[in-house]
Amino acid sequence: MTDSSTAKTDDAVISIRGVSMSYGGRRVLDQVDLDVCRGEILVLLGGSGSGKTTLLKHVLGLAEPEAGSITITGVDITSCSQSELGAVRRRIGVAFQAGALFNSMSVEDNVALPLRELTRLADSTIKLMVWMNLVAVGLSHAGSLYPPELSGGMRKRAAVARAMALGPEILILDEPSAGLDPIVSAGLDELILFLKRSFGVTILVVTHELESAFHIADRVAMLYQGRLIAVDRKEQFAGNAHPRIRQFLDRQHDAMPRVAAEDFIASYLGVPT
Amino acid sequence: MTLLEQVGRAAIVQVEDVGALTMQFWSVLRKLPRVLPVVGARRRWRSAVVQMFAIGASALPMSGAMSLCTGFILALQSASELRKFGALELVVSLVAVGFTRELGPLITALSVSGRSASAISAEIGTMVVTEEIDALRVMGLDPVEITLAPKYLAALITVPCLTILSTLCGIFAGYLFLAFSMGMSLGVYCHAVAEAISLRDVGFMVVKSLVFATVIVHVGCLEGLRVRGGPEAVGHFTTSAVVKSTFLIILTDLGATAIFYLMGWSAAG
Repeated sequence: MTDSSTAKTDDAVISIRGVSMSYGGRRVLDQVDLDVCRGEILVLLGGSGSGKTTLLKHVLGLAEPEAGSITITGVDITSCSQSELGAVRRRIGVAFQAGALFNSMSVEDNVALPLRELTRLADSTIKLMVWMNLVAVGLSHAGSLYPPELSGGMRKRAAVARAMALGPEILILDEPSAGLDPIVSAGLDELILFLKRSFGVTILVVTHELESAFHIADRVAMLYQGRLIAVDRKEQFAGNAHPRIRQFLDRQHDAMPRVAAEDFIASYLGVPT
Repeated sequence: MTLLEQVGRAAIVQVEDVGALTMQFWSVLRKLPRVLPVVGARRRWRSAVVQMFAIGASALPMSGAMSLCTGFILALQSASELRKFGALELVVSLVAVGFTRELGPLITALSVSGRSASAISAEIGTMVVTEEIDALRVMGLDPVEITLAPKYLAALITVPCLTILSTLCGIFAGYLFLAFSMGMSLGVYCHAVAEAISLRDVGFMVVKSLVFATVIVHVGCLEGLRVRGGPEAVGHFTTSAVVKSTFLIILTDLGATAIFYLMGWSAAG
Protein backbone atom coordinates (compact mmCIF):
# COMPACT_ATOMS: atom_id res chain seq x y z
CA MET A 1 0.00 0.00 0.00
CA THR A 2 1.32 3.44 -0.81
CA ASP A 3 1.02 6.70 1.09
CA SER A 4 -1.65 7.96 -1.24
CA SER A 5 -3.98 5.16 -0.14
CA THR A 6 -3.48 5.52 3.59
CA ALA A 7 -3.28 9.31 3.80
CA LYS A 8 -7.05 9.81 3.87
CA THR A 9 -8.06 7.07 6.33
CA ASP A 10 -9.32 9.67 8.85
CA ASP A 11 -12.05 10.43 6.35
CA ALA A 12 -13.03 6.77 5.91
CA VAL A 13 -16.78 6.09 5.78
CA ILE A 14 -16.21 2.34 5.54
CA SER A 15 -13.32 0.99 7.56
CA ILE A 16 -12.54 -2.73 7.39
CA ARG A 17 -9.96 -3.96 9.91
CA GLY A 18 -8.47 -7.46 10.09
CA VAL A 19 -11.57 -9.20 8.71
CA SER A 20 -11.16 -12.98 8.36
CA MET A 21 -13.63 -15.68 7.40
CA SER A 22 -13.42 -19.42 6.67
CA TYR A 23 -15.92 -21.82 5.15
CA GLY A 24 -15.44 -25.53 5.74
CA GLY A 25 -11.80 -25.08 6.77
CA ARG A 26 -10.98 -22.94 3.69
CA ARG A 27 -9.81 -19.39 4.35
CA VAL A 28 -12.05 -17.12 2.24
CA LEU A 29 -10.98 -13.80 3.76
CA ASP A 30 -7.62 -13.38 5.46
CA GLN A 31 -6.91 -10.29 7.58
CA VAL A 32 -8.45 -7.82 5.13
CA ASP A 33 -7.82 -4.10 5.89
CA LEU A 34 -9.53 -1.58 3.65
CA ASP A 35 -10.83 2.00 3.91
CA VAL A 36 -13.34 3.64 1.61
CA CYS A 37 -13.00 7.41 1.91
CA ARG A 38 -15.76 10.01 1.71
CA GLY A 39 -16.68 11.05 -1.80
CA GLU A 40 -14.44 8.61 -3.66
CA ILE A 41 -15.15 5.71 -6.00
CA LEU A 42 -13.24 2.66 -4.83
CA VAL A 43 -13.26 -0.32 -7.15
CA LEU A 44 -12.65 -3.72 -5.59
CA LEU A 45 -11.18 -6.05 -8.19
CA GLY A 46 -10.67 -9.77 -7.96
CA GLY A 47 -11.11 -12.96 -9.94
CA SER A 48 -13.77 -15.57 -9.34
CA GLY A 49 -13.45 -17.07 -5.86
CA SER A 50 -11.16 -14.26 -4.65
CA GLY A 51 -13.54 -13.38 -1.80
CA LYS A 52 -15.09 -10.17 -3.22
CA THR A 53 -18.68 -11.35 -2.77
CA THR A 54 -17.94 -12.63 0.74
CA LEU A 55 -16.34 -9.30 1.70
CA LEU A 56 -19.37 -7.48 0.27
CA LYS A 57 -21.75 -9.64 2.33
CA HIS A 58 -19.78 -8.73 5.45
CA VAL A 59 -19.87 -5.01 4.63
CA LEU A 60 -23.65 -5.24 4.20
CA GLY A 61 -24.01 -7.03 7.54
CA LEU A 62 -25.41 -10.16 5.86
CA ALA A 63 -22.60 -12.29 7.34
CA GLU A 64 -20.54 -12.02 10.50
CA PRO A 65 -16.75 -12.24 10.29
CA GLU A 66 -14.76 -14.70 12.42
CA ALA A 67 -12.35 -11.94 13.33
CA GLY A 68 -11.95 -8.21 12.72
CA SER A 69 -14.29 -5.25 12.61
CA ILE A 70 -16.19 -3.27 9.97
CA THR A 71 -16.99 0.33 10.85
CA ILE A 72 -19.46 2.21 8.66
CA THR A 73 -20.06 5.93 9.33
CA GLY A 74 -18.56 5.46 12.79
CA VAL A 75 -20.64 2.40 13.82
CA ASP A 76 -18.99 -1.01 14.19
CA ILE A 77 -21.55 -3.22 12.45
CA THR A 78 -19.95 -6.44 13.74
CA SER A 79 -20.84 -5.60 17.34
CA CYS A 80 -23.76 -3.14 17.15
CA SER A 81 -27.43 -3.86 17.92
CA GLN A 82 -30.00 -4.73 15.22
CA SER A 83 -31.55 -1.26 15.44
CA GLU A 84 -28.14 0.41 15.00
CA LEU A 85 -27.46 -1.89 12.04
CA GLY A 86 -30.83 -0.88 10.58
CA ALA A 87 -29.91 2.81 10.96
CA VAL A 88 -26.54 2.23 9.23
CA ARG A 89 -28.21 0.31 6.40
CA ARG A 90 -30.52 3.25 5.74
CA ARG A 91 -27.42 5.31 4.90
CA ILE A 92 -26.30 2.73 2.33
CA GLY A 93 -27.82 2.07 -1.08
CA VAL A 94 -27.07 -1.29 -2.67
CA ALA A 95 -27.53 -2.42 -6.26
CA PHE A 96 -27.13 -6.19 -6.46
CA GLN A 97 -25.56 -8.00 -9.41
CA ALA A 98 -28.85 -9.16 -10.96
CA GLY A 99 -30.72 -6.09 -9.72
CA ALA A 100 -32.74 -7.97 -7.06
CA LEU A 101 -35.82 -6.01 -8.17
CA PHE A 102 -39.14 -7.34 -6.90
CA ASN A 103 -40.75 -9.01 -9.89
CA SER A 104 -44.27 -8.56 -8.56
CA MET A 105 -43.89 -4.75 -8.51
CA SER A 106 -43.47 -2.19 -11.29
CA VAL A 107 -40.20 -0.26 -11.53
CA GLU A 108 -41.89 2.76 -9.90
CA ASP A 109 -43.13 0.65 -6.99
CA ASN A 110 -39.68 -0.91 -6.60
CA VAL A 111 -38.09 2.53 -6.26
CA ALA A 112 -40.94 3.74 -4.03
CA LEU A 113 -40.68 0.73 -1.68
CA PRO A 114 -37.96 2.07 0.67
CA LEU A 115 -39.65 5.50 0.70
CA ARG A 116 -43.05 4.01 1.58
CA GLU A 117 -41.66 1.66 4.20
CA LEU A 118 -39.08 3.84 5.90
CA THR A 119 -40.45 7.38 5.66
CA ARG A 120 -43.73 9.09 6.45
CA LEU A 121 -43.76 11.10 3.24
CA ALA A 122 -47.06 11.77 1.47
CA ASP A 123 -47.82 9.69 -1.62
CA SER A 124 -47.52 12.74 -3.90
CA THR A 125 -44.03 13.51 -2.54
CA ILE A 126 -42.97 9.87 -2.95
CA LYS A 127 -44.25 9.91 -6.54
CA LEU A 128 -42.19 13.02 -7.30
CA MET A 129 -39.04 11.58 -5.66
CA VAL A 130 -39.45 8.31 -7.59
CA TRP A 131 -39.77 10.23 -10.85
CA MET A 132 -36.65 12.30 -10.05
CA ASN A 133 -34.66 9.15 -9.31
CA LEU A 134 -35.85 7.51 -12.52
CA VAL A 135 -34.91 10.63 -14.50
CA ALA A 136 -31.45 10.60 -12.88
CA VAL A 137 -30.80 7.04 -14.12
CA GLY A 138 -32.45 7.65 -17.50
CA LEU A 139 -35.52 5.47 -16.93
CA SER A 140 -38.30 8.06 -16.70
CA HIS A 141 -40.12 6.31 -19.58
CA ALA A 142 -40.02 2.85 -17.96
CA GLY A 143 -41.64 3.47 -14.57
CA SER A 144 -44.74 1.43 -15.29
CA LEU A 145 -42.85 -1.59 -16.66
CA TYR A 146 -42.22 -4.74 -14.62
CA PRO A 147 -38.68 -6.11 -14.06
CA PRO A 148 -39.09 -9.11 -16.44
CA GLU A 149 -39.91 -6.61 -19.23
CA LEU A 150 -36.61 -4.72 -18.78
CA SER A 151 -33.32 -5.29 -20.61
CA GLY A 152 -30.18 -6.13 -18.58
CA GLY A 153 -28.94 -2.53 -18.62
CA MET A 154 -32.34 -1.10 -17.68
CA ARG A 155 -32.62 -3.54 -14.79
CA LYS A 156 -29.26 -2.37 -13.40
CA ARG A 157 -30.30 1.27 -13.80
CA ALA A 158 -33.56 0.56 -11.99
CA ALA A 159 -31.60 -1.13 -9.19
CA VAL A 160 -29.38 1.98 -8.93
CA ALA A 161 -32.50 4.18 -8.81
CA ARG A 162 -33.89 2.09 -5.92
CA ALA A 163 -30.52 2.17 -4.16
CA MET A 164 -30.50 6.01 -4.46
CA ALA A 165 -34.12 6.39 -3.30
CA LEU A 166 -33.35 7.36 0.30
CA GLY A 167 -30.44 9.64 -0.67
CA PRO A 168 -27.72 7.38 0.74
CA GLU A 169 -24.23 8.51 1.77
CA ILE A 170 -22.74 5.31 0.42
CA LEU A 171 -23.64 3.46 -2.76
CA ILE A 172 -22.49 -0.14 -3.18
CA LEU A 173 -22.64 -1.69 -6.64
CA ASP A 174 -22.07 -5.40 -7.18
CA GLU A 175 -20.78 -6.18 -10.70
CA PRO A 176 -22.59 -3.28 -12.40
CA SER A 177 -21.19 -4.08 -15.87
CA ALA A 178 -21.38 -7.87 -15.76
CA GLY A 179 -23.29 -9.34 -18.68
CA LEU A 180 -23.80 -6.00 -20.47
CA ASP A 181 -22.66 -5.03 -23.96
CA PRO A 182 -19.90 -2.37 -24.19
CA ILE A 183 -22.26 0.48 -25.08
CA VAL A 184 -24.68 -0.18 -22.22
CA SER A 185 -21.75 -0.79 -19.88
CA ALA A 186 -20.18 2.57 -20.83
CA GLY A 187 -23.53 4.27 -20.20
CA LEU A 188 -23.65 2.74 -16.74
CA ASP A 189 -20.08 3.95 -16.03
CA GLU A 190 -21.16 7.47 -16.93
CA LEU A 191 -24.16 7.13 -14.62
CA ILE A 192 -21.88 6.13 -11.73
CA LEU A 193 -19.60 9.14 -12.36
CA PHE A 194 -22.69 11.38 -12.64
CA LEU A 195 -24.00 10.18 -9.26
CA LYS A 196 -20.64 10.90 -7.64
CA ARG A 197 -20.44 14.40 -9.21
CA SER A 198 -24.05 15.35 -8.57
CA PHE A 199 -24.75 13.86 -5.15
CA GLY A 200 -21.24 13.56 -3.67
CA VAL A 201 -22.03 9.97 -2.75
CA THR A 202 -19.23 7.57 -1.77
CA ILE A 203 -19.24 4.58 -4.11
CA LEU A 204 -17.83 1.08 -3.63
CA VAL A 205 -17.90 -0.98 -6.81
CA VAL A 206 -17.15 -4.71 -6.85
CA THR A 207 -16.23 -5.93 -10.31
CA HIS A 208 -13.79 -7.82 -12.48
CA GLU A 209 -14.36 -5.68 -15.57
CA LEU A 210 -11.00 -3.93 -16.02
CA GLU A 211 -11.95 -1.29 -18.55
CA SER A 212 -14.92 -0.10 -16.55
CA ALA A 213 -12.93 -0.24 -13.30
CA PHE A 214 -10.15 2.02 -14.55
CA HIS A 215 -12.61 4.45 -16.12
CA ILE A 216 -14.64 5.13 -13.00
CA ALA A 217 -12.22 4.47 -10.11
CA ASP A 218 -10.40 6.96 -7.92
CA ARG A 219 -8.68 4.08 -6.16
CA VAL A 220 -8.49 0.39 -6.97
CA ALA A 221 -8.13 -2.49 -4.49
CA MET A 222 -7.46 -6.09 -5.41
CA LEU A 223 -8.33 -9.29 -3.56
CA TYR A 224 -6.54 -12.54 -4.31
CA GLN A 225 -7.32 -15.76 -2.43
CA GLY A 226 -8.94 -13.80 0.38
CA ARG A 227 -6.01 -11.42 0.86
CA LEU A 228 -5.96 -7.77 -0.12
CA ILE A 229 -2.81 -7.58 -2.23
CA ALA A 230 -2.98 -3.91 -3.28
CA VAL A 231 -4.90 -0.68 -2.69
CA ASP A 232 -3.76 2.29 -4.70
CA ARG A 233 -4.76 5.23 -6.86
CA LYS A 234 -5.63 3.82 -10.25
CA GLU A 235 -2.59 5.35 -11.99
CA GLN A 236 -0.18 3.70 -9.52
CA PHE A 237 -2.20 0.49 -9.46
CA ALA A 238 -1.84 0.12 -13.24
CA GLY A 239 1.96 0.07 -12.78
CA ASN A 240 1.96 -2.33 -9.80
CA ALA A 241 4.55 -5.11 -10.25
CA HIS A 242 2.80 -7.75 -8.10
CA PRO A 243 2.79 -10.89 -10.30
CA ARG A 244 -0.91 -11.63 -9.70
CA ILE A 245 -1.91 -8.05 -10.51
CA ARG A 246 0.21 -8.13 -13.69
CA GLN A 247 -1.41 -11.43 -14.64
CA PHE A 248 -4.88 -9.97 -14.00
CA LEU A 249 -4.23 -6.70 -15.85
CA ASP A 250 -2.45 -8.41 -18.76
CA ARG A 251 -5.18 -11.09 -18.97
CA GLN A 252 -2.76 -14.03 -18.70
CA HIS A 253 -4.29 -17.42 -17.91
CA ASP A 254 -3.00 -19.79 -15.21
CA ALA A 255 -0.70 -22.61 -16.32
CA MET A 256 -2.66 -25.80 -17.00
CA PRO A 257 -1.69 -28.65 -14.64
CA ARG A 258 0.13 -31.33 -16.64
CA VAL A 259 -0.44 -34.98 -15.82
CA ALA A 260 1.84 -37.76 -17.06
CA ALA A 261 0.09 -40.47 -19.09
CA GLU A 262 0.98 -43.27 -16.67
CA ASP A 263 -0.27 -41.25 -13.66
CA PHE A 264 -3.55 -40.62 -15.47
CA ILE A 265 -3.95 -44.34 -16.27
CA ALA A 266 -3.03 -45.27 -12.68
CA SER A 267 -5.57 -42.84 -11.22
CA TYR A 268 -8.20 -44.00 -13.71
CA LEU A 269 -7.65 -47.70 -12.93
CA GLY A 270 -7.10 -47.05 -9.22
CA VAL A 271 -3.85 -49.06 -9.14
CA PRO A 272 -0.28 -47.78 -8.83
CA THR A 273 1.93 -48.54 -11.85
CA MET B 1 -16.80 -40.94 11.72
CA THR B 2 -18.11 -43.36 14.31
CA LEU B 3 -21.74 -44.48 14.44
CA LEU B 4 -22.23 -42.46 17.63
CA GLU B 5 -20.95 -39.31 15.91
CA GLN B 6 -23.25 -39.90 12.94
CA VAL B 7 -26.29 -40.34 15.17
CA GLY B 8 -25.25 -37.27 17.17
CA ARG B 9 -24.84 -35.10 14.08
CA ALA B 10 -28.18 -36.26 12.64
CA ALA B 11 -29.86 -35.48 15.97
CA ILE B 12 -28.29 -32.00 16.04
CA VAL B 13 -29.59 -31.30 12.50
CA GLN B 14 -33.11 -32.36 13.53
CA VAL B 15 -33.02 -30.24 16.68
CA GLU B 16 -31.76 -27.29 14.62
CA ASP B 17 -34.70 -27.81 12.22
CA VAL B 18 -37.22 -27.76 15.05
CA GLY B 19 -35.46 -24.71 16.52
CA ALA B 20 -35.61 -22.91 13.14
CA LEU B 21 -39.33 -23.73 12.77
CA THR B 22 -40.06 -22.41 16.26
CA MET B 23 -37.97 -19.25 15.87
CA GLN B 24 -39.58 -18.43 12.53
CA PHE B 25 -43.06 -19.04 13.92
CA TRP B 26 -42.41 -16.76 16.87
CA SER B 27 -40.97 -13.96 14.75
CA VAL B 28 -43.93 -14.15 12.33
CA LEU B 29 -46.47 -14.13 15.18
CA ARG B 30 -44.88 -10.94 16.51
CA LYS B 31 -45.14 -9.30 13.08
CA LEU B 32 -48.70 -10.45 12.31
CA PRO B 33 -50.41 -7.30 13.72
CA ARG B 34 -48.34 -5.20 11.27
CA VAL B 35 -50.30 -6.77 8.38
CA LEU B 36 -53.72 -5.87 9.75
CA PRO B 37 -55.60 -2.93 8.23
CA VAL B 38 -55.73 0.33 10.26
CA VAL B 39 -53.38 -0.77 13.08
CA GLY B 40 -50.67 -2.23 10.78
CA ALA B 41 -48.20 -0.73 8.36
CA ARG B 42 -49.80 1.16 5.51
CA ARG B 43 -50.73 -0.87 2.43
CA ARG B 44 -49.38 -4.12 3.95
CA TRP B 45 -52.88 -5.62 4.23
CA ARG B 46 -53.19 -5.30 0.46
CA SER B 47 -50.51 -7.95 -0.04
CA ALA B 48 -52.42 -10.17 2.42
CA VAL B 49 -55.53 -9.76 0.23
CA VAL B 50 -53.52 -10.76 -2.87
CA GLN B 51 -52.32 -13.83 -0.95
CA MET B 52 -55.89 -14.67 0.10
CA PHE B 53 -56.86 -14.90 -3.57
CA ALA B 54 -53.79 -17.03 -4.32
CA ILE B 55 -54.16 -19.40 -1.36
CA GLY B 56 -57.92 -19.43 -0.87
CA ALA B 57 -60.11 -18.33 -3.75
CA SER B 58 -58.24 -20.21 -6.46
CA ALA B 59 -58.18 -23.42 -4.36
CA LEU B 60 -61.97 -23.41 -3.89
CA PRO B 61 -63.00 -25.30 -7.08
CA MET B 62 -60.38 -27.98 -6.40
CA SER B 63 -61.17 -28.61 -2.73
CA GLY B 64 -64.92 -28.28 -3.37
CA ALA B 65 -64.82 -30.92 -6.12
CA MET B 66 -62.62 -33.22 -4.00
CA SER B 67 -65.05 -32.98 -1.07
CA LEU B 68 -68.08 -33.54 -3.30
CA CYS B 69 -66.53 -36.73 -4.71
CA THR B 70 -65.33 -37.96 -1.30
CA GLY B 71 -68.75 -37.27 0.22
CA PHE B 72 -70.38 -39.33 -2.50
CA ILE B 73 -67.85 -42.15 -2.08
CA LEU B 74 -68.38 -42.16 1.70
CA ALA B 75 -72.17 -42.32 1.24
CA LEU B 76 -71.90 -45.14 -1.34
CA GLN B 77 -69.52 -47.22 0.76
CA SER B 78 -71.42 -46.82 4.01
CA ALA B 79 -74.83 -47.37 2.35
CA SER B 80 -73.83 -50.79 1.03
CA GLU B 81 -73.16 -51.94 4.62
CA LEU B 82 -75.92 -50.02 6.41
CA ARG B 83 -78.56 -51.26 3.93
CA LYS B 84 -78.03 -54.78 5.34
CA PHE B 85 -79.31 -53.54 8.72
CA GLY B 86 -82.05 -51.42 7.16
CA ALA B 87 -80.41 -48.32 8.56
CA LEU B 88 -79.83 -46.31 5.41
CA GLU B 89 -80.77 -43.08 7.27
CA LEU B 90 -77.56 -43.43 9.29
CA VAL B 91 -75.65 -42.42 6.15
CA VAL B 92 -76.68 -38.84 7.02
CA SER B 93 -74.95 -38.78 10.39
CA LEU B 94 -71.94 -40.70 9.07
CA VAL B 95 -71.34 -38.22 6.27
CA ALA B 96 -72.16 -35.16 8.41
CA VAL B 97 -70.03 -36.14 11.39
CA GLY B 98 -67.25 -37.63 9.25
CA PHE B 99 -66.95 -34.47 7.18
CA THR B 100 -67.27 -31.97 10.00
CA ARG B 101 -64.80 -33.60 12.32
CA GLU B 102 -62.37 -35.17 9.92
CA LEU B 103 -62.68 -35.19 6.14
CA GLY B 104 -63.57 -31.54 5.58
CA PRO B 105 -60.47 -30.10 7.29
CA LEU B 106 -58.23 -32.90 5.98
CA ILE B 107 -59.25 -32.78 2.31
CA THR B 108 -59.07 -28.98 2.27
CA ALA B 109 -55.65 -29.00 3.94
CA LEU B 110 -54.29 -31.59 1.49
CA SER B 111 -55.55 -29.68 -1.54
CA VAL B 112 -54.17 -26.35 -0.21
CA SER B 113 -50.91 -28.08 0.72
CA GLY B 114 -50.43 -29.38 -2.83
CA ARG B 115 -51.13 -25.98 -4.36
CA SER B 116 -49.88 -23.43 -1.86
CA ALA B 117 -47.01 -25.04 0.06
CA SER B 118 -45.23 -25.52 -3.27
CA ALA B 119 -46.19 -22.06 -4.56
CA ILE B 120 -45.05 -20.35 -1.35
CA SER B 121 -41.72 -22.16 -1.18
CA ALA B 122 -41.07 -21.57 -4.89
CA GLU B 123 -41.83 -17.86 -4.54
CA ILE B 124 -39.67 -17.37 -1.46
CA GLY B 125 -36.92 -19.66 -2.79
CA THR B 126 -36.75 -17.61 -5.99
CA MET B 127 -36.55 -14.44 -3.91
CA VAL B 128 -33.58 -15.95 -2.04
CA VAL B 129 -31.82 -16.96 -5.28
CA THR B 130 -32.35 -13.56 -6.93
CA GLU B 131 -31.10 -11.81 -3.75
CA GLU B 132 -34.48 -10.10 -3.18
CA ILE B 133 -34.51 -11.23 0.46
CA ASP B 134 -30.98 -9.84 0.91
CA ALA B 135 -32.10 -6.63 -0.83
CA LEU B 136 -34.90 -6.21 1.74
CA ARG B 137 -32.48 -6.78 4.60
CA VAL B 138 -29.92 -4.26 3.36
CA MET B 139 -32.70 -1.71 2.83
CA GLY B 140 -33.34 -2.04 6.56
CA LEU B 141 -36.67 -3.82 5.93
CA ASP B 142 -37.76 -7.02 7.63
CA PRO B 143 -38.38 -9.88 5.14
CA VAL B 144 -40.48 -11.66 7.78
CA GLU B 145 -42.89 -8.74 8.00
CA ILE B 146 -43.00 -7.97 4.28
CA THR B 147 -43.02 -11.41 2.66
CA LEU B 148 -43.95 -14.01 5.29
CA ALA B 149 -46.51 -12.34 7.58
CA PRO B 150 -49.07 -11.56 4.81
CA LYS B 151 -49.00 -15.22 3.74
CA TYR B 152 -49.62 -16.40 7.32
CA LEU B 153 -52.53 -14.01 7.77
CA ALA B 154 -54.01 -14.99 4.40
CA ALA B 155 -53.75 -18.73 5.20
CA LEU B 156 -55.20 -18.32 8.71
CA ILE B 157 -58.24 -16.53 7.28
CA THR B 158 -58.85 -18.46 4.06
CA VAL B 159 -58.16 -22.08 5.07
CA PRO B 160 -60.95 -22.17 7.73
CA CYS B 161 -63.34 -20.51 5.22
CA LEU B 162 -62.38 -23.06 2.57
CA THR B 163 -62.81 -25.85 5.11
CA ILE B 164 -66.35 -24.74 5.92
CA LEU B 165 -67.25 -24.53 2.21
CA SER B 166 -65.75 -27.89 1.31
CA THR B 167 -67.41 -29.54 4.33
CA LEU B 168 -70.73 -28.18 3.04
CA CYS B 169 -69.89 -29.67 -0.38
CA GLY B 170 -69.16 -33.06 1.20
CA ILE B 171 -72.39 -33.01 3.21
CA PHE B 172 -74.31 -31.93 0.08
CA ALA B 173 -72.92 -35.00 -1.73
CA GLY B 174 -74.51 -37.13 1.01
CA TYR B 175 -77.85 -35.44 0.25
CA LEU B 176 -77.48 -36.12 -3.49
CA PHE B 177 -76.96 -39.80 -2.78
CA LEU B 178 -79.94 -40.10 -0.41
CA ALA B 179 -82.19 -38.04 -2.70
CA PHE B 180 -81.49 -40.44 -5.56
CA SER B 181 -81.52 -43.67 -3.59
CA MET B 182 -84.46 -43.14 -1.21
CA GLY B 183 -85.97 -39.85 -2.38
CA MET B 184 -85.11 -37.94 0.81
CA SER B 185 -86.08 -34.26 0.69
CA LEU B 186 -83.58 -31.46 1.36
CA GLY B 187 -85.53 -30.27 4.41
CA VAL B 188 -85.48 -33.70 6.07
CA TYR B 189 -81.78 -34.13 5.22
CA CYS B 190 -80.82 -30.73 6.67
CA HIS B 191 -82.76 -31.50 9.83
CA ALA B 192 -81.00 -34.84 10.19
CA VAL B 193 -77.61 -33.18 9.66
CA ALA B 194 -78.39 -30.56 12.32
CA GLU B 195 -79.32 -33.39 14.71
CA ALA B 196 -76.14 -35.31 13.96
CA ILE B 197 -73.49 -32.62 14.43
CA SER B 198 -72.92 -30.44 17.45
CA LEU B 199 -71.40 -26.98 17.82
CA ARG B 200 -68.37 -28.65 19.37
CA ASP B 201 -67.77 -30.59 16.12
CA VAL B 202 -67.81 -27.32 14.20
CA GLY B 203 -65.37 -25.86 16.74
CA PHE B 204 -63.00 -28.80 16.25
CA MET B 205 -63.24 -28.33 12.50
CA VAL B 206 -62.20 -24.68 12.74
CA VAL B 207 -59.39 -25.40 15.23
CA LYS B 208 -58.05 -28.20 13.03
CA SER B 209 -58.18 -26.01 9.94
CA LEU B 210 -56.26 -23.25 11.73
CA VAL B 211 -53.56 -25.74 12.74
CA PHE B 212 -53.35 -27.13 9.18
CA ALA B 213 -53.16 -23.60 7.73
CA THR B 214 -50.22 -22.85 10.03
CA VAL B 215 -48.46 -26.08 9.06
CA ILE B 216 -48.85 -25.43 5.31
CA VAL B 217 -47.67 -21.83 5.28
CA HIS B 218 -44.96 -22.43 7.88
CA VAL B 219 -43.35 -25.35 6.06
CA GLY B 220 -43.69 -23.57 2.70
CA CYS B 221 -41.94 -20.44 3.98
CA LEU B 222 -39.19 -22.29 5.83
CA GLU B 223 -38.35 -24.55 2.90
CA GLY B 224 -38.26 -21.47 0.64
CA LEU B 225 -35.86 -19.68 2.96
CA ARG B 226 -33.56 -22.73 3.03
CA VAL B 227 -32.90 -22.56 -0.72
CA ARG B 228 -29.19 -22.18 -1.39
CA GLY B 229 -27.44 -22.10 -4.73
CA GLY B 230 -29.08 -21.74 -8.11
CA PRO B 231 -32.60 -22.07 -9.52
CA GLU B 232 -32.38 -25.90 -9.53
CA ALA B 233 -32.37 -25.82 -5.72
CA VAL B 234 -35.79 -24.11 -5.82
CA GLY B 235 -37.33 -27.24 -7.40
CA HIS B 236 -35.78 -29.50 -4.78
CA PHE B 237 -37.06 -27.46 -1.83
CA THR B 238 -40.49 -27.01 -3.45
CA THR B 239 -40.95 -30.78 -3.61
CA SER B 240 -39.67 -31.07 -0.07
CA ALA B 241 -42.22 -28.45 1.09
CA VAL B 242 -45.17 -30.42 -0.33
CA VAL B 243 -43.95 -33.75 1.06
CA LYS B 244 -43.21 -32.33 4.52
CA SER B 245 -46.43 -30.32 4.83
CA THR B 246 -48.58 -33.26 3.65
CA PHE B 247 -46.91 -35.57 6.16
CA LEU B 248 -47.15 -33.03 8.98
CA ILE B 249 -50.86 -32.45 8.24
CA ILE B 250 -51.59 -36.17 8.65
CA LEU B 251 -49.42 -36.29 11.77
CA THR B 252 -51.05 -33.26 13.44
CA ASP B 253 -54.48 -34.58 12.44
CA LEU B 254 -53.69 -37.84 14.22
CA GLY B 255 -52.41 -35.94 17.25
CA ALA B 256 -55.44 -33.62 17.39
CA THR B 257 -57.96 -36.45 16.91
CA ALA B 258 -56.21 -38.54 19.59
CA ILE B 259 -56.31 -35.61 22.03
CA PHE B 260 -60.03 -35.00 21.33
CA TYR B 261 -60.73 -38.72 21.81
CA LEU B 262 -58.70 -39.08 25.03
CA MET B 263 -60.26 -35.96 26.52
CA GLY B 264 -63.70 -37.38 25.73
CA TRP B 265 -64.49 -34.38 23.50
CA SER B 266 -65.32 -36.58 20.50
CA ALA B 267 -68.54 -37.88 22.04
CA ALA B 268 -71.58 -36.34 20.40
CA GLY B 269 -73.56 -33.66 22.19
